[in-house]
Parts: sequence; structure tokens; C-alpha cells
Amino acid sequence: MEDLAEAVIDRALSLGAEFADLRIESVSGVNILVMDGKTKTVTARIDRGCGVRSFVNGGWGFAVCNGLESSELMKAAEISVRLAKVSKEKAKVRFKIESTPSIRKNIEYGCRTAPSTVAVADKISFVLGLDKSMSVHDERIISRSARYDDLEGDRVIANSFGTLVKTRETWTLASCAAWGKSDGIVQRGHGAVGNVGGFELMGTDAAVSCGEEAAEQAIRLLDSKPVPAGKFTCVLDNKMTGLLAHEAFGHACEADAILAGASVLEGMEGKMVAHEAVTLVDDPTVPETFGFFPNDWEGVESKKHVLIQDGVLTEFMHNLETSSRMGKLPNGAARSDSYASPPIVRMSNTYIGPGDMSRDELIGDLKDGLLIKGGQYGYVEPAKGQFMFKCDEAYQIKDGVVGQRYRDAILTGLIQDVLKDVTGIADDFELVDPGYCGKSGQDARTTDGGPHIRVTNVVVGGLA
Amino acid sequence: MTEMSELAEEVVELVRRLGGRVCDVLVSDARLSTAEVEKGSVKQASFMADPGIAIRVFENGSCGFAYCTSQGATEVNEAAELAVSMARAGIPDADFKGLPEPSSPVVVDGLYDSKVAALRPEEAVDLLLSLVDEASAAEKVSSVNAGLTVSTGEVALANSNGLSAAQRMTSFDVFAEAVARSGDIMFSGMDYASSRKLDMDSPLKVGSSAREHAIKGLTHQKIQTGDYPVILDPLAAGYILSAAIGGGANAESVQRRRSYLAGRLGTAVGSEKLSVYDDPTLEWAIGSTSFDGEGVAPRNKSVIEEGTLKTYLYDSYTAGKDSIESTGNSSRGGAIWSYRHPPGISSANLVVRRGEVSLDEMVQDCGKGVYLRVTFDSPNLATGEFSCLIMEGYAIENGEIGPAIRQSTMGIGLLDLFSRIDLVGSCPRHAFGVETPVIRVSSARIGGSG
Repeated sequence: MEDLAEAVIDRALSLGAEFADLRIESVSGVNILVMDGKTKTVTARIDRGCGVRSFVNGGWGFAVCNGLESSELMKAAEISVRLAKVSKEKAKVRFKIESTPSIRKNIEYGCRTAPSTVAVADKISFVLGLDKSMSVHDERIISRSARYDDLEGDRVIANSFGTLVKTRETWTLASCAAWGKSDGIVQRGHGAVGNVGGFELMGTDAAVSCGEEAAEQAIRLLDSKPVPAGKFTCVLDNKMTGLLAHEAFGHACEADAILAGASVLEGMEGKMVAHEAVTLVDDPTVPETFGFFPNDWEGVESKKHVLIQDGVLTEFMHNLETSSRMGKLPNGAARSDSYASPPIVRMSNTYIGPGDMSRDELIGDLKDGLLIKGGQYGYVEPAKGQFMFKCDEAYQIKDGVVGQRYRDAILTGLIQDVLKDVTGIADDFELVDPGYCGKSGQDARTTDGGPHIRVTNVVVGGLA
Repeated sequence: MTEMSELAEEVVELVRRLGGRVCDVLVSDARLSTAEVEKGSVKQASFMADPGIAIRVFENGSCGFAYCTSQGATEVNEAAELAVSMARAGIPDADFKGLPEPSSPVVVDGLYDSKVAALRPEEAVDLLLSLVDEASAAEKVSSVNAGLTVSTGEVALANSNGLSAAQRMTSFDVFAEAVARSGDIMFSGMDYASSRKLDMDSPLKVGSSAREHAIKGLTHQKIQTGDYPVILDPLAAGYILSAAIGGGANAESVQRRRSYLAGRLGTAVGSEKLSVYDDPTLEWAIGSTSFDGEGVAPRNKSVIEEGTLKTYLYDSYTAGKDSIESTGNSSRGGAIWSYRHPPGISSANLVVRRGEVSLDEMVQDCGKGVYLRVTFDSPNLATGEFSCLIMEGYAIENGEIGPAIRQSTMGIGLLDLFSRIDLVGSCPRHAFGVETPVIRVSSARIGGSG
């Protein structure tokens, strides 16, 4: 595969590309979906193909072919150069891709039990176990979904600076959802565990108990009330702090948004953007996390990105293009969700660093507010400066005491204000929430986390 | 097309030889071309050829599925063996009653536009630049980001009952985000258009709408928490109704008691002003098709008629479970079908029956309220509760749409939302799989920062 990769890059250069790169992938995987005690679908995938990218004086061309026939890959190289020239003709912004030292490396993600060596029957047995753990948890559980995904694949990344990085990637993921019903009210709970690594991860306590976690949450929510709408001081749990770090700030620090003139953080480097106790980090180098990768999808070695240090905006996340155009060194934040997508700037493991208060102090100091727990999803428009994220559960805090349970609260704020309104950071740091982040139609595996934090002036949306 | 149908039928035979007696096979050949603009400058042109095959096998009701990104014999054999073995590994399911039988083909106009298929990359870039010029036509606009995608797809579907069907589809999509600045204030406006037909006017319309809304959002104010009448722009209404009705009426969710619409068939779920039907035969609409993801002929069906829930949306599995006929709502996902996922249940093109009120009349009648243009939140389909960020919205004061409101939310139960619809506009547009005009909801809870 390596010889073919270099021949394809050479072909693109010979046709006039100033820079060219590619991603060749051969991936297999299994997905098992169990609903209410029966398999709904058992899926196997065979994904093989290549995406070639060429650059000519400000214009990119990108071409994708399926399969690994050398003639198809050569054709993709030719198309990518032709398209780069079409882009260049009408591009107004001219720039170069700055040369980087070539990186030649073989990477293998840690994996003790390769998923392909495990019989499908054993994987189904594991998922049925998750399903059963939900059904026996409480008789009010009326419906269950349990899901397992694995992926094993070989990826070759090559570029015209001489980089050639081969990666053997393996990851596994389990997720559960349970629906509980009582007095005509239906509530849903969920849980997920995902990590780079093999089937051994499905034997951990966290994986085995994720069904029970989902069922417990569904039952808990049966006696919840809709959250009141309005402006509150909120204490966020570890997952919600992670979601805040990711949605409220992380996306606006992606340098492609800065170059697109679509981030309110443009021109803010070196300025106070948060309370001085806030440090916000995106770090793909944390081992045994769902967002882990040693080299990014342009072959660049990954590194820890300290986006905010002591309240000051210090760094953006870059790919080869944004670093070239902004006069920075590439810092390994380019990711593609498959060979069929071009690499774009993405997050990995995003978190707010720990403080020195205890969780109880954050709550005990609060006269009137909300404790917000568990993240469902969030989104942001960096050009509008607005974000939202939705929790699983919220609790009233009155005179430092946690009381009434609420559900389905959404929290919204302004990127430039929210971290300045942090009034306390606890010491109970956890990187806990594996999932997928969507951007430009591409999914990236990520983890979020942090300690409990307290934030004022949060607008909470609810029905009451 | 004939070759693809023959290949689909051959793969059905291959699966049979491997012992998979009940199966369907989708052969797909999609081609996508895109052009992208970043901050007003052409950034990238792309092309993707995406041939592939999906094989679904049932063994005593247990469903195995496999796909490969190739139509070559080696990969197809591998996928067929995997699909058979996956089906055998699963749990038998007596609720599966069989795959659809062959039926008379239905002719649906407006699935394929040869002008879309023939569009060259240079022409696509020029069209996109016309959008950018339109979106940039104001001093306050500091950046325009935009994209144009042209897709063509040919699919052939065959199953073990002898069903064989094929069709060609096209899709033409444009998107724009205009960013406006005034001093320290920054706001963005977005719009998009999606059709199976090449519409030379849509880039200009999308560009001008993105520009207008970016500038409009520069003037903003806070809003007090309270109950207000809310007018839903088609963009917001489409996004909400696509999940609330398309997802809520999904028969799988209903049968498993996961939907707020379970047990409500034949009952009032909304105001008499609300009628919604699902029409897979709508000319040039993105969800239109001449057969569904399992080969069932499409038909127009009323989902909500003057507030009464008339049907759920079925595929062959859920229909068999309820001993009725499939409504033809098996979906292979998207305007150009995907072979990478097993078929699921989806609405095709939801259509909200239009009323007779213009937007101006609706706003004037409002007095004080909120105009919600953009949100990307999803309802909780189990509880039927919906809370969302007003990503782009405006205060309505003295019968006029006024400044943008920021950091504000809307919360309402979906059944309340349907019941409180008191006015339906007369001028629909397509948004997120729904053709809908503006809709007024008499009261919803607004959370504000004021």
C-alpha cells in the first residue's frame, strides 16, 4: 500500500500539484443493535477506498474512489489536480502550504483482544447482557435498545513532503437506552462507553454497567418535572462541564472558523476571555480515551492544545493550511471521518482543568440555582457567538441544598461571556463522556470532561 | 440501469446459494461534486465516485446486513457471506412476516434532471460565485461561506420474492452563511435550498436571504422570560416537524411505546388548522421516489387531518407486526440513497396544508410575540416535550418584526404546540424534508436573559 501511496502522490505532483496528500483506508467492523431482547440488525462493513487531495496556489481539489485498484487511485489523483486548478482559477486568496518535516511512522493502537478474533455470537451475547441488565432493573422499564460497534482498520496517510504514516486503528463502543413508564409518563435514560482498544474494553465495569446506568436514569426521571425557564446560576457536573468546554469554546477555537471570518474569537489571542481560574484544553494525546490519536489525519504528530491558560486565549487548533496561512506551526488537529472526507480542524478530548474547591462547596455556597447533570447534545454557531447544550437531569438548589429533580433543561449562553461568569471550579476532574462530534457532515470520536464548575447568568430553557 | 438490476438479481441468487433464502440487495452508484467558498474565495472543488452494494438477509426473522464499497466479485462474495452469517448469528424474530412482493411500477416525475447530471465543475463554481456576489452585496457583510453540491445516483433493488426495481435520482443543494459586522457586534445569517432539479435562481435567493438575515441580526435586544405567541418560520417549522411528526409517527417507536404519539391513532393531537400529509410523489422534492427502500410503491397519505392522527409510518417489518400493509416509508437515507446502513423508517416529503394568511397579516395580528427563524434542537420524542435555543429569532412588537433576540429559548410540549396552532400561512417552502408555510403558535414559554 505504501508504494502505491507514493506513486499516487508523484502522479499528482507530475500533473502540476504544488502539494498533494492522500488517505487510503481498509476498514472492517461490526454493529449489533438489540431491541427489547432481540437483535434488530447485525451489520458487517467492508470499507475500502482512497481520497486524494491536491493544492495549487490557493485552490484545493479533492477526489475519492472506492476500492484499492491502482488505476482508480491514479484516476483520483488526476481528477484532484484538475479540480485544484478549477478552484485556483477563481480563488481570490493566494497562499502556500508551508513545508513540514517528513514523518515516517508505523502506529498501532493498543488492543489486547482484536474484535475480529471474537465470534459474532460472543459480541451478541454481550449486547444481550446489556439488554437484560436494563429489563431486570425495574419492572417500569418498558423498552430497551442496546448497541455495540467495533472498528478495525489500516490507514495510510502520505503527502508530498515525504510523510508516510501507517496506522492500525481499533476502537469499540457500547451504548444503551432505556424507556421507563409510570402513571402514563414515559422517560428515557441512556449510557455509553467507548474507547480506542479492542473487545477487552467490553469487559470493564463501566461497559458492563452502562445498561443499568441507562435504566436507573429512566426510572429516576419518572418523578421529574419540566425545568422552569429563566436566568440561573448553575453548577455543572463533569459531563456538562465537558460539553460546555466543547460547544461554548472549543469550536470557536478551530482555526478554520477563524480564517472563514466566522468565529467571534478572531483577533482575541492574548486577551482575557474567561475567569482567571479557567484553563481549557483539547488534548488528543491522553491515552485510553475515545478522542485519542498519536498523529492527525495529515500525518502531523498530535499535541496538547492549551486553548485558555489562566483565563487568557492562548492558542487555536490547526491543520496544515490554517497554520501556513496564520504563520503558526501545525499542531495536529486535522481529522477526516473516512478516506471519503477531506481533513478539517477538529477537537479530540476537550476539558476544563481542575480547581481547588470541592463540589459540596460549589453547591453549599449557592442560595438559589440549579445543579445540571449529564449531557445529551449541544451545538454552536461561532459566527453568532451563541451555543446551547442539553442536560439529562437538573436539580433545584435552594440555600445550598439539592432538591426537586427536573428534566430536559437546555442551557444557552454567549461564547464571549460564559467563561467570564465562572465563579467556582471544583477539584473532582474526570474525562468521562465519549461520543461523536459532527462538523461539515463529518463525525469525529471525542471525549469531553472536567470538574464540577459554577457559572452565573445562564439562560435555561424549559417548559415551566 | 439494466446492468445494475441484473447485478442486484445475481447477488440475490448468490445469497440464496449461500443459504440465505430471504434477502434484498441494493446496488448503488452515486457521484457527488461539490464546490466550497470560504470568506468569499473559492476554496475547494471535490468529486466522489461511490459505488457499493448492500445485502440484507433474514434467517427466521433475524436480520443480517453487510455492505462493501465495491461492485467487484471478491468484495461482493465477502459481503454476501458476512450478511448470511450475521443473520444466522442473530436472534429469531417471529414478528418478521416477510419482504415485499413485486408490484406494478409507479411513475414519479421529477426524480432526475439531466441538467444536474451534466453540470461541469467550472459551471458549479460559477453558480456558487453568483451566490457569493449576492450575499456580499452590502458593506456590513464581512465574510461569506458557501457550498454547492451536485449529486447523481442510480440504484437497483432486488429481493428474494422476485421484486426488481431501479431508478435514477439527482440532487442540487446550495448553502450560504453570511457574516455581518458593525463595530464589536457580529452576527451570521444562513439559508439553503435543496431540490432534485437544477434551479438557477436558488443560489441568488439563498445568497440574498443569508445577507439580509446577517444584517438584520446586528440589531438585537434582550427578552423577558414569559409566555408569548410564536411565529415559526418555515426553516424552524420544518426542522421541528420533521422530528416531531416524521420521528414521532415512526411505527417502530410507536410499537415499542417510545413515542409520545403511541396510543393516539384516531384521536385529536392538534388544532383543526393542522393537516400534514406525507407525499413521496412530489415533483422535484428531495424525498420523492418511485419505490421505497424495500421496493414498496409510494403513495400520498394523510398523517394528521384537521388535528386528528390518521396513520403511523410503516416499513414491511412494523406493518407485518401490526398485520397491515406497509405505508412505503422504508428509507435508505437521503436524497441519493446510501448503501452503508440498513433501511430505517422515515417520512418522504411531509407537507403542511397551507392556510390563507400572509406573514404580514400574521405578524400584525400578533401584537407582541417572537418570530423563531432558526433552531437545531430535537424534541424528546418519549415525553413529547420540546425545549430549544432560539439560534435566530426576532421580537415582534406593535405588529412588526423587530430586533433580533439573543440568548433566549423556547419550551413547549409538542401536543400543546400542535393544539395551539391558530394561524397557518399561505406561502410554503421546503425545509428539512417538510414543505411548510409560516405557522403561528398562540403561546409558548420563552426563556430570556432580560
